[in-house]
Amino acid sequence: MFRVILATQWKWTRGALLIATCAAFALPLLSIRNASTALEEMNARDLLAIMNTIGMAYGLTAGSIGLVIAAMAWTPDHAGRHVYALALPLARWKYVAMRFAAGALTLTAPVIALWIGGVVAIASIQIPAGLHSHAAALTIRFALATLVAYATFFAISSGTKRTAGLILSTLAGALILELVGEALNLPLRPFFLFVDFVMNWSGTLGVFNGPWMLIDV
Amino acid sequence: MTDAIRMRALCYRAGSHFDISDLSLTVPAGAVYGFLGPNGSGKTTTIRLLLGLLRARHGEIEVLGRSIPRDVAATLARIGYVPERPHIYPSLTVAEAMRFHAAFHARWDGAWAAELAATFLLRGDARVGTLSKGEMGKLMMLLALAQRPELLVLDEPTDGLDPVVRRDMLESVLGYVAEHGATVFISSHLVHELERICDWVGVMDRGRLVAELPMQLFKDGIKRVRITGATAEVSGAPFVLLKRERGQGTAEEWIVRGWKAGMESYIEGSGAVVREVIDLDLEDGFVEMLRAARVPQAKEA
Repeated sequence: MFRVILATQWKWTRGALLIATCAAFALPLLSIRNASTALEEMNARDLLAIMNTIGMAYGLTAGSIGLVIAAMAWTPDHAGRHVYALALPLARWKYVAMRFAAGALTLTAPVIALWIGGVVAIASIQIPAGLHSHAAALTIRFALATLVAYATFFAISSGTKRTAGLILSTLAGALILELVGEALNLPLRPFFLFVDFVMNWSGTLGVFNGPWMLIDV
Repeated sequence: MTDAIRMRALCYRAGSHFDISDLSLTVPAGAVYGFLGPNGSGKTTTIRLLLGLLRARHGEIEVLGRSIPRDVAATLARIGYVPERPHIYPSLTVAEAMRFHAAFHARWDGAWAAELAATFLLRGDARVGTLSKGEMGKLMMLLALAQRPELLVLDEPTDGLDPVVRRDMLESVLGYVAEHGATVFISSHLVHELERICDWVGVMDRGRLVAELPMQLFKDGIKRVRITGATAEVSGAPFVLLKRERGQGTAEEWIVRGWKAGMESYIEGSGAVVREVIDLDLEDGFVEMLRAARVPQAKEA
C-alpha cells in the first residue's frame, strides 16, 4: 500500500521536487560565490556577515519546500472530495499516516542535494583560519526545518477549505486589529504577538530561528 | 446472513434544507436492488451513509453483517463502489489507477481486470484525466468488479452514458452477479434501466423511503383501472388507491397499487363497473407512486 501511495506522491510532486532539489543544491554554492571576495582576502569577519545574510535563504527555502509539498500531497484528494480515499478499505488514520510518510520521504531529495551542494561548495574553497564548515549540521537543520514546515502545512491543508479560510481570516483579523491599534495608539498587538510566538517560541518552530551558517566559528 | 444491507431508523441532516429521517431499508443478500428516486431525493446521501463516508445522527446500519461505521474499513474491503462522480486521481494512467486500487484490495483479480480492460477497450497508458465520460465509467466499473466484491454499490453508474456503454457496463455487472451471487445496490433515476435488471426496488423521495418491495410486485401491482359508477367513498379496499381522476359522466380512472387478479369483484360489489385494467410500466408506476407520496406532505405544508 505504502509503495503505491509513494508512487502517486512522487508523480504529483516530482516537478516541484526537481526545482526544490536544484534550489537546495545551488544554495550553498551561491552562498560561497557571494562570499568570494571575503574568501580571497581571507577576511573572516566579512565572510561570517555574508554567511549570516545568505543564511535566511535556507530557512525560507525549507519553509517553501514544506509548504508546496504538503499542499500538493492533498490536492488530488481535495479535487475528488476525498471520496476515493475514504472508500478505500483501511482506517483513515493509516491513510493519512502513509500519505504523510510518503511526502516526508520525498523531502529527502532536496535535503541530500543541500548536503552535496554544501560538501562541493566547501571543497571548492579555502576557509580562513579559525572558521569551520558545517555542511552536515546545516543539512540536519535544513531537514528538520523542512519536515516541521511540511508537517504544519500538511495538517492545515488536510482540512477543508473552510478550515483554511478560518485560519487565514483569523490571521487577517489579527493584522487588521493591529493596524487599528497602531492608528489609534492602543496597546493592541495581536499579529506581532503571533509572529513573535511563532518565531521565538522555543518549540519545534524554533528550528527556523537564529543564523543558518555554512561556515562559522 | 440473510440481508446484505440493513438500515434502521436512520436520521441524517445536511444543512437546513435536506434531511433523511427515519429511514429503514433492507437489501436481501444476493438481490439486485434498484434504488429509485428523483434527483436530490437522498439516494447518494444514503449510499454515503451505508459506506461510512457520512455519519448518521441516529439509527443503525449493518452491511454484510458488520456494523457501520464501527467496522467500516473491514466492510469496505468487501464492497465495490462506483460513485456518482469520477473520483479517481486524474494524473494517473489507467494501468497506474488499477495498480493503486489493487494494492488496497486483497481479493483483486489482475487477470480479470486485464480482461475487462480489453473488453471495455481501455488503454493502459491513457491518462485518467483525459478519458471520456464513458471510458471513465467503464474504468470505475472495472475497479469495482475486479476487486471481487460481495456487494456492489453503484451510484447512478450509467448516468449520461450512451446506450452502448450502458449496456456493456450492466452486462458486466449481471455477468458478475450470475457467476458469484453478489448483491447489487444500484441507484438511478433511469427507471427503465432498473426494470430490466433488478429484483427488488426501493423508492426514495425527499429523504424518505416511499416504498420497498420486490420488483415483480411493483410492476404487477400498479394498475390503471377504468371504472364507471364508483361510489364517493373507498374504504376497506384490498389495494392502495394512489390516484383518482374523474372523467366524463361517471367514468373515473384509478391508479392503484397492490392489485391482484380478482380484485374487480371488490369494486363491482359496490355497484361500479370495471371497464378496463391496464398494466402500467415501471416509469408510470414510479411517477404515480411519487405523486401519491407527495400529496399528504403537500397537504401538511
